[in-house]
Amino acid sequence: MWNVESMGKIVDDMIYRSTTTISPDVRALMEKAFAEETNDTAKSMLQAMLENERMAGEKVKPVCQSPGFPTVYVSFGDKSLPGCDLKKVWAEALVRGTNRQLLRPSMVHPLTRENPGDNSGVGVPNFEIDYVPDQEYLDMLVSFKGCGAELANAMQIFTVAKLEKGNDYAGLKRWVLDAVIKGGGKPCPPAAIGIGLGGQMDVACKLARKAVSVRRWDDVNPDPLYGRLEKELYEAANSLGIGPAGTGGKTTLLAVKIEGASTHTAIAPAAITFHCWTARRAGVRMYPDGRVETTL
Amino acid sequence: MADKILDIPLSEEEIRSLHVGDVVYLRGPIYTSRDMGHFTLKQYLDEGKALPVDFNGAAIFHAGPVVKKRDDGGYDLVVIGPTTSIRMEPYHEMVARLGVRGIIGKGGLAEDSLKQFAKSGQVYFQAAPGCAVSLAEGIEKIDGVYFLEHGVPEALWILRARKFGPLVVGMDSHGKSIYAEIRKSADARNKELYG
Repeated sequence: MWNVESMGKIVDDMIYRSTTTISPDVRALMEKAFAEETNDTAKSMLQAMLENERMAGEKVKPVCQSPGFPTVYVSFGDKSLPGCDLKKVWAEALVRGTNRQLLRPSMVHPLTRENPGDNSGVGVPNFEIDYVPDQEYLDMLVSFKGCGAELANAMQIFTVAKLEKGNDYAGLKRWVLDAVIKGGGKPCPPAAIGIGLGGQMDVACKLARKAVSVRRWDDVNPDPLYGRLEKELYEAANSLGIGPAGTGGKTTLLAVKIEGASTHTAIAPAAITFHCWTARRAGVRMYPDGRVETTL
Repeated sequence: MADKILDIPLSEEEIRSLHVGDVVYLRGPIYTSRDMGHFTLKQYLDEGKALPVDFNGAAIFHAGPVVKKRDDGGYDLVVIGPTTSIRMEPYHEMVARLGVRGIIGKGGLAEDSLKQFAKSGQVYFQAAPGCAVSLAEGIEKIDGVYFLEHGVPEALWILRARKFGPLVVGMDSHGKSIYAEIRKSADARNKELYG
């Protein structure tokens, strides 16, 4: 089991990894996009991004000046309890990361905009905790998601008619592409989108954030319908011509991730969360015998 | 072809010679300003207070840096990159009134700014998003800071640029916006796909 010190070290390392590099799945997708891009401006933009990411790792500097907003996804079972106050450990580690200039002090009061200067604050980081009784390990993943991307997010309570179910959900697809178009260069494309379906408004929004934060961007959705929609929307979005930085090209999205939950028969909630190309995230799997594996 | 470097303060003539798609670098003082910076400058203007810096011919950068405080009280730049510009769209008139010629950011500004640019002789420069380490290489040092009471990201930092860029002209003073053009064709594509 872990205590404040041993857990603190693991968390410090997660913050270090997730701020000075992007996750390996996303780096590989960026390299593939660079190889396949045909627009000159887009190609040089992708090259600059890859070069910047490499320099950040070498110089031990943040990939991006904005650390975005941190959410920590945690799951554990009866035999893999954290054994210490995880929220406290993370809150303190964020302050340490700020003092090491890995994180810019960006957290402010929602109305007064007062900035304590160290990324401390109510609800920072956000935690999404899942209790899975039989799970024999503790999974922990941090996602620092940039907030320019948040300006492109969308949420709508659809209905059967508005989904255009009879036309292979054309209503939903048009709405998704419309959000990508309105987003333009704002979410730092090449971006990824998480689409949350079902529940009520809160559920759809959390699923959207989780889909794009927790899943590998190169995975395939095991659900055949969601998998088919992910592929179609990915290809459709990349035919819009928005491109890296929003200045043209065929690389607009690196991934589309859909997660669903059941909903009420009267409604079809849908939410879209945008994620910039700087996928600053890190994950670990921790076993009760002390083993720690890197999952992302 | 040699890189095109523009010196700050920028002249109207220079700015009007730029067109969408041109790639340039900037040299001289660059002022950061974002939501609270614009808000505060507007308050200063409304109250007739003296501005902390001269904005005539200036380049403002929608950005908030990561900085390290030195023992002597000064600041070293760690990294800096563009923030999403659309949040500053409501201030287009004020920014023109200040005499600002170049606006650096990401994602572009909207229709009101584009009209303002044509009228006042201003341009929008797109910086590479998420490229804070490489962009910081173009900055020699931090020359000063104002409005630090709003926090590090929102303060007005004076950056001394040796060769800042590359920057792509995303919106020019001739009514052209790369973002508006892409949006128009993308809307048509969406209609073609899903009606």
